[in-house]
Amino acid sequence: MTTLIRLENVNKHYGSFQALNNINLEIKEGEVVCVIGPSGSGKSTMIRCINLLEQYDADGKITVENMSVQKGKDLKQVRAEVGMVFQNFNLFPHLTILQNIMLAPLRVRRMSQEQAETLALSLLGKVGIAEQARKYPAQLSGGQQQRVAIARALAMEPKALLFDEPTSALDPEMVGEVLDVIRKLADTGVTMIIVTHEMGFARQVADRVIFMDCGQIVEQGTPTELFDNPKEVRTRNFLKAVLNH
Amino acid sequence: MRRTLAFATLIILLLAYPLTSFAQSGTDKEIIVGANIGNVPWEFQDTNGEFIGFEIDLVKEAAKRLNREIKILNVPFNGLFSAVQSGRIDIAISSIGITEKRLESMSFTQPYYDSDQSLTTVKGNGINSLEDLKGQIVAVDTGSTGDMWATANQQKYGFAEIRRYEGLAPAMLDVAIGRVKGYISDIPALLYYTKDKPNLEVVERIPTGGRYALMMAKNKPLVSEVNAVISTLKEEGFINALHKKWFGVPAEPTTSTVEIVDMPSANNGNLLNFFDTFLNKQVFLQTYPMLIAGLITTIQLGLLSIISGLVLGLILSLIRLYAAKPLQAIVKVYIDIFRSIPLLVLLIIIFYALPFIGLNLSPFSAAAVSLTLVSGAYTAEIFRAGIEAIPKGQFEASEALGLGYRHMMGDVILPQAIKIVIPPLTNNCINVIKDTALASVVAMPDLLKQATQAQAVAANPTPLIAAAVIYLMFLLPLVLWVSKLEKRYKKEGAK
Ligand SMILES: Nc1ncnc2c1ncn2[C@@H]1O[C@H](COP(=O)(O)OP(=O)(O)OP(=O)(O)O)[C@@H](O)[C@H]1O
Ligand SMILES: [Mg+2]
Repeated sequence: MTTLIRLENVNKHYGSFQALNNINLEIKEGEVVCVIGPSGSGKSTMIRCINLLEQYDADGKITVENMSVQKGKDLKQVRAEVGMVFQNFNLFPHLTILQNIMLAPLRVRRMSQEQAETLALSLLGKVGIAEQARKYPAQLSGGQQQRVAIARALAMEPKALLFDEPTSALDPEMVGEVLDVIRKLADTGVTMIIVTHEMGFARQVADRVIFMDCGQIVEQGTPTELFDNPKEVRTRNFLKAVLNH
Repeated sequence: MRRTLAFATLIILLLAYPLTSFAQSGTDKEIIVGANIGNVPWEFQDTNGEFIGFEIDLVKEAAKRLNREIKILNVPFNGLFSAVQSGRIDIAISSIGITEKRLESMSFTQPYYDSDQSLTTVKGNGINSLEDLKGQIVAVDTGSTGDMWATANQQKYGFAEIRRYEGLAPAMLDVAIGRVKGYISDIPALLYYTKDKPNLEVVERIPTGGRYALMMAKNKPLVSEVNAVISTLKEEGFINALHKKWFGVPAEPTTSTVEIVDMPSANNGNLLNFFDTFLNKQVFLQTYPMLIAGLITTIQLGLLSIISGLVLGLILSLIRLYAAKPLQAIVKVYIDIFRSIPLLVLLIIIFYALPFIGLNLSPFSAAAVSLTLVSGAYTAEIFRAGIEAIPKGQFEASEALGLGYRHMMGDVILPQAIKIVIPPLTNNCINVIKDTALASVVAMPDLLKQATQAQAVAANPTPLIAAAVIYLMFLLPLVLWVSKLEKRYKKEGAK
């Protein structure tokens, strides 16, 4: 399998504080990777560097499909290939659900109005809320909004999807419906990097789990390796803390 | 709507009324005189700031003879009529000519000076008589005798345009710049003014037969008292001595400076009541075409300035937020300067100073440019606040989708920012429309200017009241709309 995303010696400083410390990572096409770790460990920072929402230090290198992730003309292409789903959904409140999903295909992919609408409706069907198409985001529940956000990211037909704690802002009874959608996506062969605190979910969907602490990747492996047989003390302590919760 | 309007009018009138009929100007001892200071040689300031001049000497002497104290207030020419009618001043001086119109609502003493109008130009600008002014722009003082004469004779001499100024100084400045070719005004003032200015020249006397007198409220006992004193002063040769003092030569023996004449009386002079004064239907009917013309200018100027201010403000705010650092700094300086500079000062600089570097704007353009520059600065700050109020996540979601800067702003950020900025933007629009009135100083015939002119010509403040009602009619709905929007957004925000 070919490598889709590659991070080499990626560092990130906020002033003198180092949020990422020598990150090296390869994500293969079709792989589903879950990222876990304590708060402040740099999980969000790492995945936000992949589509350059954060600028990483100049000595590092990130590529997506062999395109370098940096300011310039390729950036648009990179962002078109890498979708993102945020903790707080970040839907556009002044647009209907349908318009939210159609915007990028229309503007970036230059689809026709009909094409974009057909695509949007079929995606809404996939995430199970086709009947809400004409409503505005504020009229939907949190779980529904996050499913719209996933459909919006999918509308660009990206090679990879980044999730930053997609269920953390949801009421507990809505977590399941969103995880179900992501699980189904995993089966379709989309490459995904998922930052999550849902250990059970990570164990189910991930091909690989990464544990981060203090801006570093401390340990990685298959879910069985990492959850059942962690090698590092820090990993063990973290898992003990969250699983006893 | 209609009821609010009626109510607003009533409030204005209630506010104005106490200043008018009930106001007791001065004590019994003190006479309050209003004078358009700067009107040489009649009333002006010497280097010590003392008020001096022909008419100042005259009223001081008259007060002395009546055994009364005197206090002199500086009132612009256009304000003198309302000031007298409202009783804020007892006597108005400012080389005011006696006219039929004015006599309908004012009283005058017997005249003490026979005057004509005159044409003043810059030497060597090719204008040597009124005939040379065909197709040219002439300057006058708003509502003055010169204004009335020029208006009546515009067709005959083919003046391209009559520009109305708020006094001699700004009018002569524009004559000197060459923006207008001649200034039509009282001959004695201009002879005095050009005396020590070799580049200026009074080229023609315009016989209008004006006679200057002291103006007072209608049929007050003070009128005949002062009139009697003037007769005495003429007998004693005092007034002729003033003539010699201020003009260097004595007056001709047949003029009203020397001869005692009758007090002028109105043909149809009734004592005017409140309604005749402030809500005079006849005056309104006569002057409303002027007001409508002014209104159109005001709306044109307001709309143009608002729209170009919006465009400028939007561009500035985007530069301020997203451009390279040095550009941001420049724009910040621009915004700070244009939000602190008084519009009036900017207007005067643009209109009167720029011609010296070869940039000669018409009154309308000068006003539009000034209003746009200032409105753009305010709008920029409003837009910036609006854009900054949009959550960071909206920018990030747009970027993550690969939307370019143009689409991010156009499709996502600005549509949301607009809602936030509508109330402050509307307030800014209201300010711009109100500020158009400042364009009077550059002789632009906006609504307020037209109203002041109409007021001076008719010697009645009805046009001013009408103008106020017109301003209210289109600003009040905007004001009410903004408060409604603000209330609604507040409620939505609270949810
Ligand atoms: N803009 C910023 N300026 C300074 N420090 C920052 C900034 N953004 C993040 N940090 C710091 O960088 C570190 C990593 O933050 P990050 O958000 O990546 O953590 P995280 O692993 O996603 O945590 P959480 O689970 O709480 O979301 C934290 O210590 C955080 O305080
Ligand atoms: Mg995070």
